[in-house]
Amino acid sequence: MSAPLAALGLFGDAIDVIFHAREGRAGGAQVGGLSDFGAMAWTHLKVVLASVGLASLIALPLGLVLGHLRRGGLLAVTVSNVGRAVPSLALIAVFIAFLGVGFGNVTLALALLAIPPILTNTYVGVTQVDRDVIDAAKGQGLTGAQIVREIELPLALPLIFGGLRTSVVNVIATATIAPVAGVVTLGDPIFSQAVYGDAGKLAAAIVVALMAIVAEVGLGAAQRAVTPRPLRGTPGITRRARFLPTLRKGAATS
Amino acid sequence: MTRTTKPDDGGPTATPAASLRFDAVQKRYPGNARPTIESLSIEVPAGEICVLVGPSGCGKTTAMRMVNRLIEPTAGQILIDGRPNTERAPADLRREIGYVIQQTGLFPHRTIAQNVATVPKLLGWSTDRIAARTTELLELVGLDPEFADRYPAQLSGGQRQRVGVARALAVDPPLMLMDEPFGAIDPITRERLQNEFLRLQAQVRRTIVFVTHDIDEAIKMGDRIAVMRPGGRLAQYATPAELLLSPADEFVEQFVGADRALKRLALGRVRDLELEEPTRVRYGDPVAGVREALRRAEVPYPLVIDADGRPLAWLDDDDLHGERIADGIGSEVAVVDRDDILRDAFSDVLQHRVQYAAVTDHRGVVIGILSADAVARELAPPGPAPVQPAEAHHGTGA
Amino acid sequence: MSLVLAQSGGFVRDRSAGASGQDACVARDGVCPSWIAENFDRYVEPLQRHVLLTVVALVIGFTISFALALLAHRRRWLVTPIVQLTGILYTIPSLALFFLLLPLTGRGFLTAEIALVSYTLLIIFRNVITGLDGVPADAVDAARGMGLTDRQVLWKVEIPLALPEIAAGLRIAATTTVGLATLAFFAGAGGLGDPIYADLTFKSNVLVAGGLCVLLAVVLDLLVLLAQRLLTPWTRAATA
Repeated sequence: MSAPLAALGLFGDAIDVIFHAREGRAGGAQVGGLSDFGAMAWTHLKVVLASVGLASLIALPLGLVLGHLRRGGLLAVTVSNVGRAVPSLALIAVFIAFLGVGFGNVTLALALLAIPPILTNTYVGVTQVDRDVIDAAKGQGLTGAQIVREIELPLALPLIFGGLRTSVVNVIATATIAPVAGVVTLGDPIFSQAVYGDAGKLAAAIVVALMAIVAEVGLGAAQRAVTPRPLRGTPGITRRARFLPTLRKGAATS
Repeated sequence: MTRTTKPDDGGPTATPAASLRFDAVQKRYPGNARPTIESLSIEVPAGEICVLVGPSGCGKTTAMRMVNRLIEPTAGQILIDGRPNTERAPADLRREIGYVIQQTGLFPHRTIAQNVATVPKLLGWSTDRIAARTTELLELVGLDPEFADRYPAQLSGGQRQRVGVARALAVDPPLMLMDEPFGAIDPITRERLQNEFLRLQAQVRRTIVFVTHDIDEAIKMGDRIAVMRPGGRLAQYATPAELLLSPADEFVEQFVGADRALKRLALGRVRDLELEEPTRVRYGDPVAGVREALRRAEVPYPLVIDADGRPLAWLDDDDLHGERIADGIGSEVAVVDRDDILRDAFSDVLQHRVQYAAVTDHRGVVIGILSADAVARELAPPGPAPVQPAEAHHGTGA
Repeated sequence: MSLVLAQSGGFVRDRSAGASGQDACVARDGVCPSWIAENFDRYVEPLQRHVLLTVVALVIGFTISFALALLAHRRRWLVTPIVQLTGILYTIPSLALFFLLLPLTGRGFLTAEIALVSYTLLIIFRNVITGLDGVPADAVDAARGMGLTDRQVLWKVEIPLALPEIAAGLRIAATTTVGLATLAFFAGAGGLGDPIYADLTFKSNVLVAGGLCVLLAVVLDLLVLLAQRLLTPWTRAATA
């Protein structure tokens, strides 16, 4: 009986830490409160935007070009597989060990994590565009660059947004371990538990989780917004029927 | 064109074919104002092919799928050998009804042998019996037994459709349902599969419900044809000949096509027609005698034959000069077999300079002459039909 | 509730250790082959623990998502709520989830497993559903028409044909779980994250522990791939 009650108490305490500063456990400086958490959240957000931005600068053009040429499919798939297999903690650790700590290095490490989903989705999105459409565009005299800009990019947008969404959510999660590299994100209360205590640790977890869910939902809405209405299906389920045209016989027709 | 119902004469089939009756069958879907099938009553005698044909939306596939209860009717019943098909559990019922569909429905993850063995395995046959039956069936549909261990993806469309037919025949079902079985195949392979299937059916004599939207296929495959119109109403149920000779109404007439007279040619065979007698001559015969014989002849050209009575050439007036007929002169003869389909024979006649064809027997000996006139007489209403139209609803069931 | 760092206290580099001239290398935080050779046995226990964490999470996660997928396969309306629910679980950062669970389930294996399992659900569920949806409609129609019961259609036709897609989901789940399990030590469940975090600046340590993670991910990936190839011989049959 007591465990759930205590738990509730701790959650309540955690929420309190977010809004009201209190004396650190080690004594001395005030910790917690909106300004403290706000600063950490802002740093968190900055590192996320910087790394996803950097990843997009690399992965988007690369995916568009490879997809347009319909080459390097193996590369795109391999990058995404290897990317998943490398543990984020190990990646950050390698960066600290070899390059040292700091905002730039953390951004670089997180960008590496963010590249695979964006690259793979952009590539797949572009290659999925109906070849007949491309053919018709060529027939009307569009140049390669125009085809990418006018046709392939717009049609690939839903998948590109899907990749961005995955990357952003991943990076928000992983940026939590940035404090080990000297960047004070929302992970700080977790790593400086001696200062923040259990309530502060839990509070950080809550804020990070909320931030991830908001990003997921917001970018999900954006993804739906850029998806032409007829292509919207069950969220999260690939519309296989579009790629494997099997005749599903309606019961009422013959 | 007389594929009458014969009793099983010791062919490879053991179970007798079943008779099938649709009794005021109706199908409505909730939310649809009009019924998919209004009221369908037809009877299929055992061992015959009944083709359901009509434009899309006429309910022909729905009608077929109600036989094995993939769809349940809203009203009415379907009787197999006089017993309602609702008497048995759907799965049990379906195991005894062969099922062939347009996309073949072969299981991509199973070998050809495993595909064919699907229903025998469900019925718990022994491994030996299944293996023996599989080999027999592949032979029956004209597939090399080496295909047994391949997967469907390794076969051509035509081969896959043969496997589909073999799989449906696996337990020798008294009744078979075929939904546009040759619909997704190129025209040449399609024609060959149709012919093979008719030959096969002559052996196995199953009762078959065959769905198609192609009237030509219906005429070719059907012992009886049920023409359905949109909204699931039966427009006419008749033999192919009767359908072509006397369409019940304007819809059927249009559906059958403006060339229905020509289509009837597909039903008849050369032997059904009255043939004319040729003036048979040989190289070296005296010209005077030939001229004399021609005066009494129906066909104005003498036909040169060889020592065994096989046709060599037509002669015309220009060839009949001098003392005797010179060796090797004359024009090419169209030769048709007495068992050829009239349409093919007629086409042959039209492609030659002399609009007559020599009709031969199986040894190649001339037995008569087919003229374009005779074909025209055959088609002219109200001339005699190539076959006696059968009654639409006669009940010669098993 | 003890300190997180206390957990990793067992793994402390002995900078003075090492017989020969390795001291210099170790002191420089370098990549030291002989140090790695001498101390490799320190990684065996975390590796075993990591394998256990991953495999248990995959087995439980697969069981739950597969059952959910079968349930939703015939009741399509369930797909959207299940995707949304597992999607939220998937979105909550793993580290945050560990700490959100700590007050409820305490430190240890259970907390780590709950978090790891919850990440596999969306991936596997989505792939099973996609796989089942991709089964050719004519094969299912033919199966029903030949008298297979619903259960037989599911187990003899639909699931075998969905295997490639299901295996693909399992592979993604496996590699993802290996990566996430490096954070399990935050929940006090051990694994290869322990040694990594204990000495982040020592290149030898980070390379060995990180390398073992990648190696484990690759091995699991290949195992699933191998199983899939053995189970789906027809996918390799060349088209005629």
